[in-house]
Amino acid sequence: MKSKKAIQLPFAWIFASLVGAFILFLAIYISIRVINTGNMEMDLQTGTEIGILLNPLETSFQSSQKNSFSLPVETRIYAGCLEKGTFGLQTIQISQMSFKKWTDTNSRVSFENKYIFSRNYSEGKTFYLFSKPFEMPFKVADLFYLTSSKEKYCFIDAPENIKEELDSLGQENIATKNCSVNSINVCFSAGNDCDIGVDYVGKVVAKKYNRFYFEGDALMYAAIFSEKQIYDCQLKRLMQRTEQLSELYRDKSSLVSKEDCNSNLELAALAGLTGSFENQGELVSISRIAEEIKQNNDLADCRLW
Amino acid sequence: MKNKLGQLKIQQMAFMLIAITIFFVIAGMFALTMSSANNKKDAESIREENAMTLVSKLANSPEFSCGDVFGGEKVTCIDSDKAMILAQKSIEYKTFWGVEHIEIKLINSDVEKLCSLQNYPDCNTINILNNETKGAPISNFVSLCRKESFEGESYDKCEVAKIMVVSKGI
Repeated sequence: MKSKKAIQLPFAWIFASLVGAFILFLAIYISIRVINTGNMEMDLQTGTEIGILLNPLETSFQSSQKNSFSLPVETRIYAGCLEKGTFGLQTIQISQMSFKKWTDTNSRVSFENKYIFSRNYSEGKTFYLFSKPFEMPFKVADLFYLTSSKEKYCFIDAPENIKEELDSLGQENIATKNCSVNSINVCFSAGNDCDIGVDYVGKVVAKKYNRFYFEGDALMYAAIFSEKQIYDCQLKRLMQRTEQLSELYRDKSSLVSKEDCNSNLELAALAGLTGSFENQGELVSISRIAEEIKQNNDLADCRLW
Repeated sequence: MKNKLGQLKIQQMAFMLIAITIFFVIAGMFALTMSSANNKKDAESIREENAMTLVSKLANSPEFSCGDVFGGEKVTCIDSDKAMILAQKSIEYKTFWGVEHIEIKLINSDVEKLCSLQNYPDCNTINILNNETKGAPISNFVSLCRKESFEGESYDKCEVAKIMVVSKGI
């Protein structure tokens, strides 16, 4: 009788332990899956929301505008660029700190009509966006410059127009005087403590042994705030859009000529140059022809833009 | 008697464990349903948020906007001539704005007359993008301006129109 009792108790424990272990395993497995799905959903949602946040900055005629947003946890924003297709792609990938680890960034949202210039990734909780229209010679797009509150920029000896623009913008991480010790110094004249050098007249930005050629202030800011590969790719995308817009205005020109509205502009030449754009060196010739077209459009009987 | 008591205990424990398992399954299913409902709500709020700025963003984009052509820069003014050219370029711009359908309609007539390069400007509806869609359109009033001529002189003609956009589902 005693031996029977001895068998009965261990069986109950073994049975309970097995089923209990199974339930625990199931609960942990499901929790991990739910947390991962939640993280991925959060990353995608944040990416889409950032895209939406850019919309109000695109709907105005103001020369430059700013916006900022804060996220509840430490976040990395990867603003990528792809050249494929007619207009290329702007991608946004989000990685957030979860249980002291960065979440996977396999999922991303993409936009064909946005151009974000930033470092390979911006990290922080608060992010600043500032936009400026890019014209060649007509408005092509609004360029966005994304920085985090951790990246502090100081513009030293900037030309008066740049200084005024940045001061009126009032972006907290950009200063034109009283630079903080750990700020990224952007120098417009020769100096010792410069991280980025800008030759405003020669239209070159020098940064980390790289040279960025620019035309216009919008591209100058782009060169200052972005990595070389992002700058090159976005420039190519901007030229792709310039090509499409040149063709649009060329066709508009022949449509409105029926209404006694004539404008003889070299838009086909601009479309050809921008369509075959390969590198920054070609910007000078494109800018030259764009300037001629602008002057002719301003003087034309019938302006196209 | 003791043997029977033991069997009863095993049965009790088995029922208890089954009950716990069922409880966890039901609780899990409830959590999943709630999370899925929240996802739908979030997606819907993003869609609405996007829709609110989308129409004005479109009207002011370089491809549509009047620019400085019709006497100074105007907000939500669409260049009808540009829109007509864009309608011929729907392949290039198919996915550019992330929307399924874009249509501009003059509100001067109830009878729809679709614009083509042959009948323009004697028409009232410019169909720019016409992808298959099931969504409801978002619309906004805009000025639709174009160049016209009278006795060899060109002049600006602006009319009230409605831009209708169906955005992509998220």
